Amino acid sequence: MLTFIIRRLLITIPMMLVISFLVYLGLELTPGDAVSHMIDPEAAARMTEEQFAEMREALGLNKTFLERYWIWLTNVVQGNFGHSLSGGVAISTIVLDRLPATLELSVFALVFSTLIGCVLGTLSALRRGSGTDNALTVVGMLGVSIPEFFFGLVAILIFALNLGWLPAGGRLLPGYETFFDRLPHIVLPGIVLSLMMTAGVMRYARSSMLDSLSREFIRTARAKGLPAWRINLIHGFRVALTPVVVLIGFRLPTLIGGSVIIEQVFQWPGIGSEFIGAVRGSDYPLVMMIALLSVFAVLMASLIVDVLTALIDPRVRLG
Amino acid sequence: MNKLFGMAIAAAVGMTSTFAYAERVNQLSDERVRQAIAYAIDMDTIVDTLFEGKAIVADSMIPNGSFKAEGLNAYSYNPDKARALLKEAGWDDSQVLDVVYYYGDQLTADLMVAMQAYLGDVGIQMTYRKLEGDVGGQLSKLPTAEDTSGIEWDIAYGAKAALALQEYYNGYKSGSSSYAPGDADRDALIARINASADPAVQQDAFKDFERFENTKLSDIPLYYQQLFIYESARMNRNGGQYGNDQFNYDWGITKWTVEPDANGKEVLYTNTAPAQFFEHPWLNPGIYVFSKIGLDRLLTANGSLAPTGGQLAEDYSVSDDGLTVTFDLKDGLTWHDGAPLTAEDVLWSIETAKKVPGINAVFQSTFEAIESMSVEGDVITLNMSQLDPNVFLTFSQFAPLPKHLLGDVNPAEFQQHPFWQNPVGSGPYKIAEVQMNDYVRFVPFADYHGGEANIDEIVAFPSGENDGNVVTNAASGRLDFGFTKSVADVASLEAMDHMRIVPADIPYTRSLRMNAFPKAASK
Repeated sequence: MLTFIIRRLLITIPMMLVISFLVYLGLELTPGDAVSHMIDPEAAARMTEEQFAEMREALGLNKTFLERYWIWLTNVVQGNFGHSLSGGVAISTIVLDRLPATLELSVFALVFSTLIGCVLGTLSALRRGSGTDNALTVVGMLGVSIPEFFFGLVAILIFALNLGWLPAGGRLLPGYETFFDRLPHIVLPGIVLSLMMTAGVMRYARSSMLDSLSREFIRTARAKGLPAWRINLIHGFRVALTPVVVLIGFRLPTLIGGSVIIEQVFQWPGIGSEFIGAVRGSDYPLVMMIALLSVFAVLMASLIVDVLTALIDPRVRLG
Repeated sequence: MNKLFGMAIAAAVGMTSTFAYAERVNQLSDERVRQAIAYAIDMDTIVDTLFEGKAIVADSMIPNGSFKAEGLNAYSYNPDKARALLKEAGWDDSQVLDVVYYYGDQLTADLMVAMQAYLGDVGIQMTYRKLEGDVGGQLSKLPTAEDTSGIEWDIAYGAKAALALQEYYNGYKSGSSSYAPGDADRDALIARINASADPAVQQDAFKDFERFENTKLSDIPLYYQQLFIYESARMNRNGGQYGNDQFNYDWGITKWTVEPDANGKEVLYTNTAPAQFFEHPWLNPGIYVFSKIGLDRLLTANGSLAPTGGQLAEDYSVSDDGLTVTFDLKDGLTWHDGAPLTAEDVLWSIETAKKVPGINAVFQSTFEAIESMSVEGDVITLNMSQLDPNVFLTFSQFAPLPKHLLGDVNPAEFQQHPFWQNPVGSGPYKIAEVQMNDYVRFVPFADYHGGEANIDEIVAFPSGENDGNVVTNAASGRLDFGFTKSVADVASLEAMDHMRIVPADIPYTRSLRMNAFPKAASK
């Protein structure tokens, strides 16, 4: 397994190089550059070509595409991620400022959806055809088919504006010092973000559990007179877990990429909304950094899923 | 609305002509065509429906008031007259006008649909598209030496938010406009509106200009946008005046109060805090919270932005010929960090602003007219190469910045300086805490020359003027003060019992820029 992990990690390097080049190229092909986004159109009309040239030179935008990419790449390799073109802030500072907010929200949603999804999916499978199963099936379908932003707006309207139980948005207020101060702010966006994920996990867990419960080893376990809870939860659930782990694993990248929509609806100052702003403003050092983090997260998630699958299911061999 | 909808469908059905044309004479250079377009658009209906009555139909670029000429042709909706003018001008109805805009809001898209319908009704086809990328370049590229249009579009929908009324017309000067060809008569009018600082003299010149443009229609004025100031029932200006909140005026913020919280602390919530950096105040001098409450100017102004007296300046004067301007600073001024605020800071700020790209047009015009500057003690003397009618207006909006913290700045990277992560100012409130993209906390500046402010703390969140979160924040009690031009936001805010809306007429005119330059042979 160690050889497999090392090989996969090594493959990550050329993949990230190729992807970084493609992202950089994509930015280059978008109309305008950071300077044209920075200057108000009316103010730009009064600026001279020399002023534009000075700004581009100061920001390093006067070089060719390949030169800029090479400079960016060599700097990144040396641990220098550069500065935001729009505000001059170090990219590392921006990422370190925003990533905790995104991680808080995403981890909350991932843990919540995993626990609730697995429990409800298993329950649904164990009570197949019952009213509970039918109700959970309907809830699951609603969860995967209604967009997040709609849930978000409805949740704000009911729980923040009408009932006043929870804050409508934001993450921090003056005087907050600990995570528990912030906890009321994370509940609504966290639950809304996890709704769609919960529904997905629940549907996967249900069908996987049903498949598992129909296997011969379950019949053998029953014949041996094992208690039902042991058959269902130890024998059945463990096997049923494999596809669920795959699904959850591929959601790990959201820990880095965040949820742009939920961050916008709940004014959550995460990295997703920062990414949108950076793309709109052609702030390429910032776009590149966030994109690379997301790509890295995807590749690592894929690796983790493979390893976990092998650990859960002894029939799987890594090679 | 039904009429608009029906016309939209009819126009869409009629949009079958080709975009390509081998040779093209720009018929927009014929003022009869421009007039026909003005007659074809029913702005009264558009304002009543799309804008829910929250805009004022425009008959000139200059807003209503004492500078407005009497008896202007309002080009009220008259499709028959539009058709007649087009026929007279020999309008080629196979042409498809390329209309561009640069706003991303739904209202603009709806306006384009309505325009397409109205123009289609009189036999003018148009397509519309949002400019992306280098918007400034696409709007303002000047004609080539052969006098062929440097821009691709036929009509651009845009706005002019003027700090000084001259801004509406100075851009037409021969050789300066990307869409209005030079005209000796117009140049003479431009010289007249800039020739005097006396409002009575200026008024006559402006009125003549309006009458001239009322026929020419280099821009077709559509509507005057209003500004809406919103306040919660918790706060009280205590007699402080209202005005154009996009800029700075004497609004008496040190006397404002807000209902205390459970701990007896007066905390006011507002918006326009930064998401990544504080915007410098030399382009938009009054939009963002730090510029409004954290910085002072040499002079102050009333709600209509007419300079009224000194702020940092104890005294100020201008010579009879308008060529020598002096400011005498108050004694004992300090920056928020305790460093003395001196005449050298003012001098350095002007010198630096001259080199910073894309500053406010009125500031730029004033600074370009400064021939030399000198400092003697607290007195700053500006020697002007020519009279600048807006010199006091400029200094009622231009905020000096601390030389001791920004002296090393490269003007080409002004906004990228670390200063803008936690700036130091001179105004009634200073920054106590910055949680970038979460909130900024301001507290009263104890050594403020105008006396310490009443409200204990101002907390600003990063949602801005056009942010959909304005309504959510106001509804949840996290917004006590702000301003917006968004019609949709105003309707929602008006529906809240705890919010009050104060409309303000501001010089902000939306118009159609008509490209009258000859176009390239094919496209």
